[in-house]
Amino acid sequence: MLKALNNFKLLSMTCETFSPNSLYQQSVRWGRKPLWFPTAKSKLFRVSPRKRLPKEEEVEKRRLYNSYRTQVKSIKQYLEEKYSLENQEAFDEEKHKMEIEEDFIQCSEINDKWNEEIKKSREERVEKELQESIEDAKRRLEKRLKIYAEQRETAEEAVRQVKEASQHFITPDKLDAAIEYAINNPVDYNFALDLDGNKIRGRETKPPSKIEPEKISAKA
Amino acid sequence: MPIKYIGRTLDYQGKTLWEIVGNLKNFGVGRIVVRSSFERYPEPSYMKIVKVETLPNPEISTPDDVRKVRVFVEKIFRGRKHPALVKIERVSYKADYRLIPKDKEAEYCRSDAPAMQMKILPKTMSFPPLLKELIIREMKASGKEVTEEPQLQIVYRQTRESYYRVTEEGETPNAEVYSGFGKTKSPSLYKNIKL
Repeated sequence: MLKALNNFKLLSMTCETFSPNSLYQQSVRWGRKPLWFPTAKSKLFRVSPRKRLPKEEEVEKRRLYNSYRTQVKSIKQYLEEKYSLENQEAFDEEKHKMEIEEDFIQCSEINDKWNEEIKKSREERVEKELQESIEDAKRRLEKRLKIYAEQRETAEEAVRQVKEASQHFITPDKLDAAIEYAINNPVDYNFALDLDGNKIRGRETKPPSKIEPEKISAKA
Repeated sequence: MPIKYIGRTLDYQGKTLWEIVGNLKNFGVGRIVVRSSFERYPEPSYMKIVKVETLPNPEISTPDDVRKVRVFVEKIFRGRKHPALVKIERVSYKADYRLIPKDKEAEYCRSDAPAMQMKILPKTMSFPPLLKELIIREMKASGKEVTEEPQLQIVYRQTRESYYRVTEEGETPNAEVYSGFGKTKSPSLYKNIKL
């Protein structure tokens, strides 16, 4: 902002006929093109001249840089050697081994403790699981036995029924009597219906008088 | 219309090695070739071609991919002959080689030309002030007696062309390596500055 004001001031100083009239206002460009703009067409093939130092300066610069590189290289090597040697001295192999062993023993103790705890919990868990599985097996056995018993019961019931029914079976001994009975008691399934829907049984044989006349009603 | 080159300027002057060697009888064996960038030294630097092995032309020849060639040379760098033959292959594409005409060879490869002198460099230098103070204090703290100033071992980089060595026992160095700012070669740059 200050810069802009300053520029404004400069303008007013240089242009004597400066008036605040916006009609005569001219924008002034300061500085260069924005960085993101490409190289101007007119500058595209311009190659700026190579920079050449005066001979004296070139020689002096080369001398200073050569000297600097040598010194830095030497100091670097000195420090590397010094600290690598110091590190080697500080490293005691026996002590290091001892430390490793002590550390191992400590770790081993902790590990054993953990193993003990885990063993305890594992045994408890296994015991519990075993009991549960035994109980489950018992339960399943009982269920299975019950099913078997039921099956036997139904089978026996069926056998009993068949046995009962077998009393009426026609055996060779009873065959003649059965034939005799069948001849003496013919069964006539024929029947007739009258207009009232009464069922009149028998066509060639007389129906037994016991039988009540049935009535058939027409279904709606 | 004059050609205007766009882009990086190079310090190279001359042709690629294949451009020279490929146009010579027997691939220029026995001729003298010079790298222009080595001509900046006061001592002569040149190469005598001993053996040439050709390499295939690149499939698409562009300025960025020019033909290379494998050349074995006797290399004289700054007046000092390299003990073994030097193979030039990876740098053969550089357009920096120059052929010495036969009548100029004798003049160019004078045997009495000045040669690079072996530099004998110091083994140690003083530490930077703060580090030096630290080291002295450490020494005192650990119970050591500080009789003389601690010295920093200098690390030198050795390359194929480097021609210097560290002093041996009882030898005095003929070149100096300074710790810190050192001694300037261009005092005019520091005319009004108190160093």
